[in-house]
Amino acid sequence: MSTTPTMRSRLKQNRPSLRKLARPPKQRTALGSAFNAANLPVALALQHCRDCGTVQYPPRELCRQCLGDALVWRSTSGSGRLVSSIELHHSLWEYFKRRLVEKPWPVASVRLDCGVIVFAHLATETFGDPALPAGTAVQVFTHTDCSLNAVMIAVAADIPVDSRSQRHAITASLGLLEPAIKPEGI
Amino acid sequence: MKDYAGIALTTPVSFGYAKQSPHGAAWFIGSTLRQLLAGSGLGPDDIDGLAISSFSLGADSAITLTQHFQLSPRWIEQLPYGGASGILALRRAARAIQAGDADIIACIGGDGATHRAFESIAANFSNFTIDSSFPYGGGGPNAAFAMITQRYMDEFDARREDFGAISVAQRYNANHYPGALLNHKTLSLEQYMAARPIASPLHLLDCVMPCAGGEGFLVMSEQRARSLGLDWCRILAADELHNAHRDDDIQLRGGWTEYADRLWNRAGLGPGEVDMLQTYDDYPVISMLQMEDLGFCAKGDAPGWVRDTDLRFDGSGPQARKLPHNTSGGQLSVGQAGAAAGYLGVVESMRQLTGSAGNNQVEQARHAMVSGFGMINYDRGLCSAAAILARSER
Repeated sequence: MSTTPTMRSRLKQNRPSLRKLARPPKQRTALGSAFNAANLPVALALQHCRDCGTVQYPPRELCRQCLGDALVWRSTSGSGRLVSSIELHHSLWEYFKRRLVEKPWPVASVRLDCGVIVFAHLATETFGDPALPAGTAVQVFTHTDCSLNAVMIAVAADIPVDSRSQRHAITASLGLLEPAIKPEGI
Repeated sequence: MKDYAGIALTTPVSFGYAKQSPHGAAWFIGSTLRQLLAGSGLGPDDIDGLAISSFSLGADSAITLTQHFQLSPRWIEQLPYGGASGILALRRAARAIQAGDADIIACIGGDGATHRAFESIAANFSNFTIDSSFPYGGGGPNAAFAMITQRYMDEFDARREDFGAISVAQRYNANHYPGALLNHKTLSLEQYMAARPIASPLHLLDCVMPCAGGEGFLVMSEQRARSLGLDWCRILAADELHNAHRDDDIQLRGGWTEYADRLWNRAGLGPGEVDMLQTYDDYPVISMLQMEDLGFCAKGDAPGWVRDTDLRFDGSGPQARKLPHNTSGGQLSVGQAGAAAGYLGVVESMRQLTGSAGNNQVEQARHAMVSGFGMINYDRGLCSAAAILARSER
């Protein structure tokens, strides 16, 4: 368990009454930061093993298959199938607590065609039918949130997300680009 | 695998459950140890083995605690395995006693619950959590378990009422167990159904309440327990498997499937022959996975099985089939005291099998199945463990 001063101070700042602006969790490990950097230029980049070709997520130090260290970040297709989707009505994190006042926060688990399981913010309004059974075709891309971290976003498979502006618009519609504001905060 | 002959589990202790506490983990672990010594008549120097499980030790560890409590153990273990800690502790302790590496081992799970401590544990649980699950809604374990519950409901046509049957029966048990934090509150199925949503499909009464507390027991040889005049119980069989079924999309089964038959064979018993079942119930769906994987019913049949089974400790429910389940109320009604929750089922079974349970005593309790499940690192729980314990005549 990480007990860095950074996290401690961040948790202190997470106190509900103290801040005007609340943002999504900032903390990442070094590998999480590498994921952020790798995802800046592309829609989705994941760790690939140069030796055995295995794709993996969450990011690891070594290849999960061959334990080699020939890992590279490569642009990867985000198409996949829904494993499970839920709506959070409660959160431990101030940013989400404020968003949850308006409506529940949808999150999904997705099996990408490359084999990995990812958790993603779910853009429910991109789906025609609100019932989202397991196996529903989705696509996942990353976008930088207002804590400057790359986060996964899952949308319906038929939504165009090839251009940066399309992905930006979906991310903005989820509210991830703006901090959650409490006007009376300090 | 060698059996556990000659090993005694004695002196079950549950200590100091509190919803919030200014005290740290060492206070709960040390207080549990004090009660273990008082209950067994032993002194600190008689304890030559120590197994500790805790999430909130901070910079401390099992070894630094030896100086806190002035112990000099010749065998030490720290078992950071969450809900499987208790069973893993008893297995390792039993082997150490059989090997002669220690004579009397104190196994203790304990955690504090200071203001907003749970938030910090959830946010920092593991590297996978930090990078890939906590940023998605900050739901903590509720999020992953909600996904499992949703998928389980879709696959097996489970309804909220089925999960409610487990919570309601456990609350009845907790109403007879003074140590439970929710001992004073009754629960009806209507109240369960009316609870506010937390991470749909999970509602408030599907989720354990994080709290502070300690659970512990002693492991020693049967001769030693006899000479000390202690009641004890025996381990008929125990097993564990971790990160099993790792290619499944989502966790609808645990490692128990791989060793349940072996476990029953070694104990010479079948699922119909135990007098109680203690599952790890951080969420009711996880209890259902254990009921299925341990052979009490087929995969996907747990919703129907709990409808047709009286899970109360005293068999006072209307169903014909009786199986006391989580007889102290489980974590759902007692509270989840961090890693102590992994010891709760073991300690409760020991009380039952030694006839010292009190108001929630199961009559004629001879055999208990205890199961553990632990550590949601990312999308699934990694540890699975189970043990069959038996009453022993002095």
